[in-house]
Amino acid sequence: MSLLCLGLEGTAHSFGAGVVSSKGEVLSNVWHMLSPAEGGIHPREASRHHSDMGPEIVKRALDEAGISHNDIQLVSFSRGPGLGPCLRTTATMARTLAQKLSVPLIGVNHCVAHIEIGCLESVFEDPVTIYVSGGNTQVIAFAGGRFRTFGETLDIALGNMLDVFGRTIGMRFPAGPSIERTAAKGVEYHQLPYSVKGMDLSYSGMLTAAKKLHLEGVPVADICLSIQETAFGMLAEVAERAVAHTKKDELLLTGGVARNNRLTEILEGVAERHGASFHRVSPPLAGDQGAMIAWTGILQHQAGDELPISDSHVMPKWRTDEQDITWRCKL
Amino acid sequence: MQTLKKQLLTLGAESAIYIVEYWGKTLALKWRPIKPYLHNEIDKLLRTSRTSRECKMLTFVRTLGVPTPAVHFVDISHHLIIMDFIEGQQLKQLVGVSSKKRIASLCHEFGKLLGIMHLSDVVHGDPTTSNVVVDTQSKMWLVDFGLAEKNATIEMKGVDIHLLRHTYETTHWDLQETMLESTMDGYIEVSGDAAEPVLARADEIRERGRYH
Repeated sequence: MSLLCLGLEGTAHSFGAGVVSSKGEVLSNVWHMLSPAEGGIHPREASRHHSDMGPEIVKRALDEAGISHNDIQLVSFSRGPGLGPCLRTTATMARTLAQKLSVPLIGVNHCVAHIEIGCLESVFEDPVTIYVSGGNTQVIAFAGGRFRTFGETLDIALGNMLDVFGRTIGMRFPAGPSIERTAAKGVEYHQLPYSVKGMDLSYSGMLTAAKKLHLEGVPVADICLSIQETAFGMLAEVAERAVAHTKKDELLLTGGVARNNRLTEILEGVAERHGASFHRVSPPLAGDQGAMIAWTGILQHQAGDELPISDSHVMPKWRTDEQDITWRCKL
Repeated sequence: MQTLKKQLLTLGAESAIYIVEYWGKTLALKWRPIKPYLHNEIDKLLRTSRTSRECKMLTFVRTLGVPTPAVHFVDISHHLIIMDFIEGQQLKQLVGVSSKKRIASLCHEFGKLLGIMHLSDVVHGDPTTSNVVVDTQSKMWLVDFGLAEKNATIEMKGVDIHLLRHTYETTHWDLQETMLESTMDGYIEVSGDAAEPVLARADEIRERGRYH
């Protein structure tokens, strides 16, 4: 009989609940994203969103999975990294459920969960992972018992850069999809700061330069084209360095920005050049959602991990490389 | 160039390195091929500027006393350089096979070379253990200068140190403390008082990453 885990995700703008079995079947994956009419994400508003929407989303996740709360044998939650108020709201729901149902509680690292759900879907064993979202831009690979961050942004995340630029030209959050559609109409490339430092990147200079182009009256479609080509080109270089350096033969694209088709095309090219397999997570598993937390919870549980309620404080600054990845130690 | 006898040595992130027989010598040919998946203007700009930069910096840095392969031939329009082939092993390959003492002494030397460059306001731009080659006579060479820059500021030097530390953490986690300590000893030995602001900036840069 396989184990069923309910995973709760709530690190930033989205709240999600998913039910996954220990065989790796995603039985349900329900989420809702806060999309303010104007402006960005305010942590307090987002945590309010999670506490308002949470109970209904959990109920729908159980209904869609066709199970009752008594069938849940494990509760996992996104313990970090993320916005403090959002993490605390989600952790409170998870603790309550675990105690009420008398099942073990598991604290999951949000970034690690993005990698593991990608590995589940792609059947990759040991990939170089490009994790790109509104809050994170990391190039990660497993080595010596940890997921090591080979490269990351030194300032803002790729998705954040896209969102903030989108906001200045009147696009609603999240702006990535609108930028992709607008870029498709772009014709002329305008040079933007290309900032790669070893395997690290920086996107803040590009944001400033793109805003400046907008003030100078450069067509929005051309700016969107230039942003995508430059930003994704930088990421391709870093991915390439990581693949060449680690000699791994799988390349995984995960996180909300994985939905971008142009980025996917570029990274496919990188993988092909280095003879690596490529996979991008499917759209339902790309953004922040509960299934990835549930699946990683199962992996941790199987490796003997359990989090006592008394120690289950949230970890807003929990780095990807800080957790011992016990379930992968055979690698 | 078709008559060249060549053998692929490594396929790096942005270039392919071949061993060629040329002028009766064994040399290294570094070629930056087209990346069809990139926007062609970005691709062309990067390949041209890095080839040109690499040639200049390999030569310039040698005048400072840092061993680098001599450039024999360059073709900017085809993005290729022919330079000395250094027969040896990357520092990266030596970690794990050589004794801890030897690695510490090599890192000390690496730190000194980096210090010499920084004192003359030059940064390497990608100071990883893959770009340090130790030849068969145990002489250390620095390679891969496509990201190197002159007129470096404290910020740029800080990035160099940050990248080096990052490599030790991700690739040589077992020996990272020893390697970092030895490298910094060599670096400070050469840099003196100039080291302090750079190391402080490197710490600051590290803090800018997420969740530190």
